[in-house]
Amino acid sequence: MLCYIGLALLNGGCIASSRVINGRLGMSTGPLRASLYNHLIGFGFLALLMLLGQLVMSWMSGGTTLNSLSQAPAVSYLGGVLGALFVAINSFVLPRIGVLRTTVLVIGGQMLAGVILDAGGESSGMLWKLAGVGLIVMGVYLSRKSSTGSQIREIDRHDEIKSKSAATNGR
Amino acid sequence: MVKISGDWVLALGAGVLLAVMININSQLAEFSSPVVASWVAHGVGGLAAWGLCLVVGSRKHSVAQRQSRGAAAGRIPFWCYLGGVPGAMTVVLAAVTVNSPLGLSGSLALMLVGQILFGLLCDYFGLFGIPRRKLQWRDAHVSLCTISGAGIIIFS
Repeated sequence: MLCYIGLALLNGGCIASSRVINGRLGMSTGPLRASLYNHLIGFGFLALLMLLGQLVMSWMSGGTTLNSLSQAPAVSYLGGVLGALFVAINSFVLPRIGVLRTTVLVIGGQMLAGVILDAGGESSGMLWKLAGVGLIVMGVYLSRKSSTGSQIREIDRHDEIKSKSAATNGR
Repeated sequence: MVKISGDWVLALGAGVLLAVMININSQLAEFSSPVVASWVAHGVGGLAAWGLCLVVGSRKHSVAQRQSRGAAAGRIPFWCYLGGVPGAMTVVLAAVTVNSPLGLSGSLALMLVGQILFGLLCDYFGLFGIPRRKLQWRDAHVSLCTISGAGIIIFS
């Protein structure tokens, strides 16, 4: 159990490190190119994993998973388009407002949209869900208020960048 | 101030995009597997990003470069291109933990906690070449609100 908890926490680290690295790449190449590289590398990496998986699968059962893919509705293929936009926006925003605030806002937007998307279904825990929404809205609101403080830090940051680049130029 | 609010709305909107994307991708995963669905999404997303680069990329690219010349002058370290690897690993790790005693809600909640902890560490130490930021008490309040709110939504 502890091992699974560690894995799930590590997975959160994977999500966040992917976003941070893309944000760093976006600082050099622009967010759109960062999104392009992210998807190309991810595509290649998953292809490798699938090849490995296929080997294991054929050893275990021999079932292929690609065959039924053609039956999926056309719209379900378009998730990647949203993903491309998501990585681009994320890479644009992250170096500007910081990792924590980006993470909190993305989680907030995701949870709020998730509650709305699920609203058509069962309404058993709706009161609890609304309480959760309230807490998230408060967190998002607090993170917005701290933007005045971050403007000062923004200036700090520029100074730091200047001194850093001066240091690298000197080297 | 206006610039900051713009970023704030963008990040919130990105979260909405993410939720809709996960919804669509899980539909595709029903017809294959999480890894195959993510692979297809990465392929389609790569094409979309390439198209975006062609349409607006060249112009925005030069602007971005000019803006960040101080921050990211010189050659780009090679690990900067590897953000897609942990991003793709997410699907595999999620497949493991969702099918464990943690289930979907437990996995989601712990993944959110992991993200926030990692975000705090990155900001504080300036990991991965990201600008360092001092942490404030408000950051702890923001994190607690978000984690507890998300936890209630996930487990209710």
